Amino acid sequence: MRIMLYILLLFTLISAFYAVLTSNLINSIIGLSIFSFNLIVIFLILQAPDVALAEVIISSGITTVLFIITLDKTGGSL
Amino acid sequence: MRKGYIVVLILILATLLMINLVPVLSNFNNLNSLATSSQHYIEHGIEETGSINLVTSILLDYRGFDTLGETIVIFIVVSTITVLAVPNLGYRNDNICSPIVKQSISMIIPFLYLLGFYLIAYGHLSPGGGFTGGVLIAITFILLAVIFGVGYIKAEARRELISRSLIENLAALGFVISGMVGIAAGYNFLSSGQLGLSFGSPGNLVSGGLIPIFNLMIGIKIGAGMSVIFSHLIKEE
Repeated sequence: MRIMLYILLLFTLISAFYAVLTSNLINSIIGLSIFSFNLIVIFLILQAPDVALAEVIISSGITTVLFIITLDKTGGSL
Repeated sequence: MRKGYIVVLILILATLLMINLVPVLSNFNNLNSLATSSQHYIEHGIEETGSINLVTSILLDYRGFDTLGETIVIFIVVSTITVLAVPNLGYRNDNICSPIVKQSISMIIPFLYLLGFYLIAYGHLSPGGGFTGGVLIAITFILLAVIFGVGYIKAEARRELISRSLIENLAALGFVISGMVGIAAGYNFLSSGQLGLSFGSPGNLVSGGLIPIFNLMIGIKIGAGMSVIFSHLIKEE
């Protein structure tokens, strides 16, 4: 379980850097989504189901939707 | 070039954070002696607050002021967006979504709604709570608006948004008033476990003193507030 936690932490770091450094905004949103997914599994491994549930609903659900709609309305690279 | 600066800045900040954390992480065995209040919560939390879920009992009973701060933040955001982003048009969808998407979403939405109310009502028994359930209820409204494209006329949209803002304000007021029950009984503000009105034994649906009422108020407030934010932002221009 500890090795899996380290692998997930590595993926979290990689996806966070990808979300910050990529130039395409849609790719950045997808990177942020993958980042929050990794974070959810990490919370479940660390036995915090409450925080994991909040992370699922807020970060994977509402943030992605709001970012995509904002890109759509502002005429970004969608 | 600017990206390079950002990466270097992030790395420097991360190193500083790690240097700060090294003395805490190195004597990991001494952490238990430092954490006396968390030991108290684990040992006496259920009998003092009456809720099985210790996270909820900390959020709404021991640290109720933090939750009040969070709800005030959401309240200020909703008020600001209501003033600044005035909705003029109904949001019209250009029929991007296929009938398959519309049918499947219309089948999913009742269960999402039910799950949101389940999370609010069982907040003191299982993982979840007012904030999570409220956001889930708001997500159903967002899905409806995105998939089907709400095309209200101006006056109708105004009226619906005003009623939702009114629900949000009333829920915020209800949270504060149910927190004042503690003051009326002679204890602190937002206290529920000290009052001694735990209806039923811990583990039942009706238990935990005022915690289910706090959860209900926060859920209604967050659900209405998030949907108001979304509707105002998407119907602007």
